[in-house]
Amino acid sequence: MAKKNRHPDVVFIGQPNCGKSTLFNAVAGLKADTSNFPGTSIKHTHSKVNIEGSIVNIIDLPGTYSLNPSDPAEKVALSHLFHEKPDLVINVVDASILGRSLELTLELMELNYPMIIALNMIDLAKKKGVEIDIKKLEELLGVPVIPTIATRGQGIKEMLEAALQSLEKRLPASPIKWSRDVEQRVEELSNLLPEDFPLVYNKRFTAIHMIEANRLFFDKVLREINPKLKENLDRVRRELEEMHSAPAYEVISAERHHLALKIFEESSRVFRGKRVKFQDRLDDVIMHPFLGYIILLAVFFGFFFIIFKVGSPLEELLLEPLASLRNSLMLKLGANVFSYLIDGLLAGIGGGVAIVLPYFVPLILLMSFLEDVGYLARAGFLMDTFMHRIGLHGKSVSPFILGFGCNVPAIVSTRILESRRDRIITSLLIPFIPCSARTTIILALVAFYLGPVWAFGFYTFNILLIAVLGRVISLFFRTPSPGLILEIPSLKMPSLKNMLKKTIFQMKSFIKFAWPILIAGSIVLGFLQYLHIDRFINLVLSPLVEKGLGLPQELGVTLVFGFLRKELSLLMMLQALGVNYKDLMTVITKEQLLVFTVFINFFIPCLSTVALLWKEMGRRIALLSVGLNTGVAVILSLIARWILGK
Amino acid sequence: MINLLQAPPDVPLRIAGIHGGHGIRRRLIAMGFHKGDTIELDSLGILRGPVLVRNLTSDTSVALGRGIAQRIIVEIIGEKK
Repeated sequence: MAKKNRHPDVVFIGQPNCGKSTLFNAVAGLKADTSNFPGTSIKHTHSKVNIEGSIVNIIDLPGTYSLNPSDPAEKVALSHLFHEKPDLVINVVDASILGRSLELTLELMELNYPMIIALNMIDLAKKKGVEIDIKKLEELLGVPVIPTIATRGQGIKEMLEAALQSLEKRLPASPIKWSRDVEQRVEELSNLLPEDFPLVYNKRFTAIHMIEANRLFFDKVLREINPKLKENLDRVRRELEEMHSAPAYEVISAERHHLALKIFEESSRVFRGKRVKFQDRLDDVIMHPFLGYIILLAVFFGFFFIIFKVGSPLEELLLEPLASLRNSLMLKLGANVFSYLIDGLLAGIGGGVAIVLPYFVPLILLMSFLEDVGYLARAGFLMDTFMHRIGLHGKSVSPFILGFGCNVPAIVSTRILESRRDRIITSLLIPFIPCSARTTIILALVAFYLGPVWAFGFYTFNILLIAVLGRVISLFFRTPSPGLILEIPSLKMPSLKNMLKKTIFQMKSFIKFAWPILIAGSIVLGFLQYLHIDRFINLVLSPLVEKGLGLPQELGVTLVFGFLRKELSLLMMLQALGVNYKDLMTVITKEQLLVFTVFINFFIPCLSTVALLWKEMGRRIALLSVGLNTGVAVILSLIARWILGK
Repeated sequence: MINLLQAPPDVPLRIAGIHGGHGIRRRLIAMGFHKGDTIELDSLGILRGPVLVRNLTSDTSVALGRGIAQRIIVEIIGEKK
């Protein structure tokens, strides 16, 4: 996206939870790519699509509540919107909360770009008893409005047709005027802007954002470069503040708020339906101060039970042919360098398919189910209560939940936290959250050999440990954390198609990024074994591995490689011990298995996590995190050995 | 005038003002909490947890930490349903 090409750019933008990404995915299909914004690690998704013969670049921006963002992640997305001028903006709007969603719409219209509105979740609005007159809304806004239901693929064809039409006409949206006294001040200020002033879009937008801007930063700069303009800006702000007895930025946002509500009232009729009552009642139970926690536990338990019940038979089914293939190959080839390499290759490929995917796929599928239903936010609400007690705070809940999928995006998402204290504590704790790779290991080792209850216990212990660590780390910070503001979206019926799409998307990225590392790692281990270098590494680590943890010496090398990628430890463990998955228990004991899992699970998550921590939080925090993970892994696995050895 | 933590649940309240720094005010405004809006306290979490607030004007629900809720000044404008 950095380079301009002749295909028009179409940007999807909307508030969080409006179904924007679902709509985007429905248009982009499975071809979409994710890449980082230049110079940052914040991801955006983009794709080239063919709409009736015309190729169009579509870009999905992160959800944002307003164009005056308060967190760093939103800022990056918006500065992109400010620099690269899109040819069309598709504003995705949650029809069920039209009044509030229109505030962003009104802000977007101030940009003067060609724009269409996808009025999404129109079915949910109906259920809530909100009936929207589309024609009237179009008339009031002066922008095409297309009703859509992204989860069912409805209205997408119409939306794309409208997009093509808008791209041809290139009619810019024009902002709706505010009340006269505010409008007058804005106009006055925009006329005072000198010709060489660095405009953002247009004079009016620049003037508005000057009034709204955060004083401390912007004002200092302006005072230096144009003191006269600064005087006028101060006067306009003062006048607005005196007239409305509120800070100037609140006067402006109140204008948008009232205008949005007015448009909502003029275009919609609200009937209070029975469905709402049902939804509310369901929410009363889900977020009940007592029942809510029982449900949370049940969901948590059910989650792992299902993954295990689906994963383990699948795993057994896939392992059989792999084992016999490897055995017969070894017999045929004999012990030479070639056979070691081939065996490593097979272990890598087969391990990815037979051990990782059977657990990974149901995990991702269920995760996206919980997300799409809207349960994750509710779990966040419930868990916040608990986290506050142990020195944490609510806004970290969503990075934490993301961490169960993968630690890397979780650390990126700590950018939603405004205070550095919160970011540091959260970033140090995230590497202890069992991501999908570690969940796979817990399931494949602990649940498979010792039973699902053990795995559940392991998981519960892991979460308790995070709580205790959080408490301890926050003792080092004196400043209190700001506090929780978290939107609870309404409960929705998820679409299977969308869940499957997300899962396939994740699977593709697993195959693309993780698998090559698994295969390469296995081949390297095969090579090391052939050259007997693995014995040297094992010998060096043996004081810890053999004496300390009571594990077979051969496992030393797997701990080192696990640093590249967690699943690698699992595959290499089998390779290093020279057994097939099903025969594992013939060479190690249950106690050793548990000690090994404890160490692997709490040790540094993976190279990517450490690299990202380094980049996001600096060297000190990254090294601190490495030390913390290593220390906790060693201490806990020693304790585990001591308890189990009794 | 009371703050949101002192308000009874399930009673319509009007936001009379928001105390606090720019950051918090801007965030609340962006999420649809404006002066004059009608809101309702849904439930109180146990263990001094966050509160769940329904904004009847914009028809959204937001969970607020106690520190934040304390800064929202409201007046009671109706009866318990």
